[in-house]
Amino acid sequence: MTDKAHSPSFARLCETLTDVMHTRSSTRKISLFAGYLKGLEDDRDVSLAVQFTAEGAFSTLSGRRAAVGHRTVALTAAKFCGIDYDVVFRPCRTATGSASETIEKLMQNLPEAAARREPAWLGLDDLADGFERLAAASGREQKQQVLTGLWERMTAREIRFMIRMLSQGSLRIGFEVRSILPAIALAFGVDAEQVRRVHMLTGEIGKTALLARAGELHSARFRMFQPVAFMLASPMETGPVGGAETGDGDGGSAGAGAEGDSGAGAGNVGGSGVDPRAYVAEEKFDGMRTQAHIGPDSGQVSGQVSDPDPGPDSGQVSGQVSVRLFSRDLNDVTVSFPDVAGQLREAMAILPSKKSRPPDVSVSAQPGTLQSGKQNSVTLQSGLQNLVTRQPGTIEAVLDGELCVLEDGRIQPFQRLQKRMGVKKPGRKLLAEHPVRFIAYDLLFLNGEEVIDLPLHKRRRLLEEFCAQTGLPCSRQHEIASAADIERLFRQALEHGNEGLMLKRRDSTYEYGQRNKSWLKVKQPGGSLDTVIMYAHAGSGRRGGTYSDFTLGIRVDEDERYEEQFIPIGKAYGGYTDEELKKLNRRIKELAVERFGPTLSLRPGIVVEVEFDDIQVNRRTKAGYTLRLPRFRSIRWDLSPADTDTLADVERLYRKRAERSGDADPSNSPVLFHKAGTL
Amino acid sequence: MIGFPVRHEMSGSCITIGTPVKNTVTGQSGTTTQISQPLQIKNMGYHGIYLPEANLLLDGSGVDAPTFITHAHADHVPRNRHQPVFASPATAALMRARGHSGPIKEIPFGETTSLPGSGTRESGDKRSGDNKSGHVRVTLFPAGHILGSAMVFVETDQGSLLYTGDCRVPPSPASEGFQLPDAQVDYLIIEATFALPIYKWQPHETLFDQIRDFATDSLSDGDTPILLCYNLGKAQEVMHALASCDPPVSVQIHGGGEKLCRVYEDFGVDLGRWEPYNRETLPGKVLIAPSSTLESPMIRDLRTRRIAYVSGWASLEVRASQLLADALIPLSDHLDFFELLDVCRTLKPRHTWLTHSPDPTVALHYLHQEGFSCSSLETERADDG
Repeated sequence: MTDKAHSPSFARLCETLTDVMHTRSSTRKISLFAGYLKGLEDDRDVSLAVQFTAEGAFSTLSGRRAAVGHRTVALTAAKFCGIDYDVVFRPCRTATGSASETIEKLMQNLPEAAARREPAWLGLDDLADGFERLAAASGREQKQQVLTGLWERMTAREIRFMIRMLSQGSLRIGFEVRSILPAIALAFGVDAEQVRRVHMLTGEIGKTALLARAGELHSARFRMFQPVAFMLASPMETGPVGGAETGDGDGGSAGAGAEGDSGAGAGNVGGSGVDPRAYVAEEKFDGMRTQAHIGPDSGQVSGQVSDPDPGPDSGQVSGQVSVRLFSRDLNDVTVSFPDVAGQLREAMAILPSKKSRPPDVSVSAQPGTLQSGKQNSVTLQSGLQNLVTRQPGTIEAVLDGELCVLEDGRIQPFQRLQKRMGVKKPGRKLLAEHPVRFIAYDLLFLNGEEVIDLPLHKRRRLLEEFCAQTGLPCSRQHEIASAADIERLFRQALEHGNEGLMLKRRDSTYEYGQRNKSWLKVKQPGGSLDTVIMYAHAGSGRRGGTYSDFTLGIRVDEDERYEEQFIPIGKAYGGYTDEELKKLNRRIKELAVERFGPTLSLRPGIVVEVEFDDIQVNRRTKAGYTLRLPRFRSIRWDLSPADTDTLADVERLYRKRAERSGDADPSNSPVLFHKAGTL
Repeated sequence: MIGFPVRHEMSGSCITIGTPVKNTVTGQSGTTTQISQPLQIKNMGYHGIYLPEANLLLDGSGVDAPTFITHAHADHVPRNRHQPVFASPATAALMRARGHSGPIKEIPFGETTSLPGSGTRESGDKRSGDNKSGHVRVTLFPAGHILGSAMVFVETDQGSLLYTGDCRVPPSPASEGFQLPDAQVDYLIIEATFALPIYKWQPHETLFDQIRDFATDSLSDGDTPILLCYNLGKAQEVMHALASCDPPVSVQIHGGGEKLCRVYEDFGVDLGRWEPYNRETLPGKVLIAPSSTLESPMIRDLRTRRIAYVSGWASLEVRASQLLADALIPLSDHLDFFELLDVCRTLKPRHTWLTHSPDPTVALHYLHQEGFSCSSLETERADDG
């Protein structure tokens, strides 16, 4: 490989990535990769090298994938190596815990596989071309042909990284975007913070690298229909006041954690060093975080199809207003929510007719709960002033908010939204049964202005005005002066059936992609249950080779409905230390009864206190309930399986939690509806 | 000679090879007919392997029969420290250093010992009768795994058997080497710890260079290099590799390793400049310690340290993150997949049993494909890397 060390070959990138993988210090990783980037001479190579490393075979923004399944890759590799997939390949993969590492080793070790390969020192653009051909190939057979053709010209190491790139996203070598961006900055001698910002704006790390290299970072602009990383909230830290876990629950260890003191989170504000007056509060909706892009359908947005069905009643603006919805992981989810797209387009349609009227604020708003924005006395920045005079087809706005099932002006339980999530093209019936709407709570861009840089209170004024003009619902914001206010609002939020409170710092800008203290979430403490480990599953990646995922069981030994001793209630991983995991694995081996591939069936013996956010009814499971976000709180070596909680405890907890979602009083609804009949 | 009363009262699964034994490899019918009776093998799990006709116990305890110990690793020596055993001279010395107090009959490599066998094929009768028939000849061959490690070659009326214990070829340079018997091996019991094609070792010299570079680079950066490896065998092999560092380095070894190192030196292995672990004088030296000490204050409190994990298991990258090691050096004491197949091809046994394998199915599949008669002898043992 060394003979080609100075050409921009894919092998050279893979060598660098190997060095990065074998280095533990993140500073050293950054400087290794920066050194490599610096040595590249061609713009195209810089852009590809960065993209392959950070995003995979295709850029994230393109939304494209090579569309080669893991199984196709594995089957092709087995065939290439002349080995049986089930008899040889699978045991090997179980041992390494990683398909790409297995394939690399087999390609390297098996004489048949080595004989079929003659490294051709492919360039980075050869790989890009190969990925294109893979994406274009249809069917397993064609994809196998392309893969085989590429592998015949690659080293085992190249093949490993190439396979990792096919799955898009992180290469899992301990070198993520947050490290790659500083490496770009270091390579081209520019400011790392600026690189980060440009990456957020352009959404393309390859392009970011090129702008950094050309010294043109300042030229990057935000683009509509290209998602911006979300601003994230930190949990309110538990102060000395809190932690009242011994609780006042009415019996059973299960109850204590879950319903002990719903205000524990809020009560902690005083002890957490947070000055309540620096914050405002909003109720935290239990929905789906979404970024809405609304703007002229100029057709210049690459790689996007126009709305499949603009809806019959948006005829006069169809073709003019385009809407895109992005989920928290920045995936385009527009096709799943045509009702929301319709809602937003319709809101734009309202604009012209309202342009002469003063902003009309909420039918249900109580005086005093709104900020001064209601008289529209804000001095708008230039460019924002003409908001109301713009034609609907020329408005551009990016909003941050929540998708919820909304009925009679009330947010419905998350489970109803869940019925819509992931359904690509919902039918008429589903749309009617579970109508989803967008509730706005932040404004990021407006008519070409980067509102994200304004402090929250200014963004809020613009948002309120925007919502007033368009009739879009937005969250109600509350002034807070003390921990007692937070406590009161928190309880009110729970009464509304919401998750808790969001505290937002008044003077904070929209800190895209960051999780700082500018936004704090005060959540209803989740519950906890003592469960027993029923099955252990071998992990992959970092946890390969050990049992790291566990199916947890709830006790039903005295339950007449069941014959079993325990039935599964959820699956959890994480929340243990490496040391605990080792101990756990030793114990697991002693308790193992049966083995199904990577899964071990265990005798009841290990008790785990599992923490969760919520309990949901799920008829497809044996227990009839599933835990939302289950995770280990602690391994209870001190408890025996007989000490665990029962299904009856789960049912009682569920009822307790469900009861709390009482009817909301419309006069203090957490949502501001600006125009009756919009929904 | 140590006397062994003969008894047959042990539990354990009994494997009998079907009669007549088919020689599926060579097809030489002559060999087959010479074996009048099948050879029995009893897998005693943690208590080793028992050969009833030969009345021999291999790497085990709990049976009153002549017991041969292949090497001094804890999972192969008898749990009863007072048990009389046969072993190679170096294994005897290492076992004594590790606290074995029973009598050890030292059998030099290549020297054949004759034993009475069971005296009869019918268990329970004629325990002390004449031994005209049924006598057994046992010879030790160097196994290349660690110093003293031996393969046990047993010749009986029912055929010959080679039990490899743990073995390695090419052999560890800190061992007596590796040698197979010239005579026909009818039955082979071979260890298959790394019997998957993902395991293929690099040449020793490449790995020794990695060890030396790791040590010298760390030292020149002012860090204390820590090589995590098993304290019998791997530790001394690593020290032997470090002995040829240029410039020379000094080594400290943790805990029980010291006595074992002295045995190695007594048997002529160059371990370079070394001393027992001493917290005060460690800076500027290389530390060799077992991976179980990773969380100990000895390692935790070292501010400038660099850790390498030296083991066959280090060939899996996932181990690096699990152990938080800076370097992985896949130097193994065991055969890799391809070396295992080569040993079988060389010996062409009538039947081969694989032992010590986390998953023997793949190697069995390959052996079957090449026409070998083979199966798995499920012995569960601790993995010593």
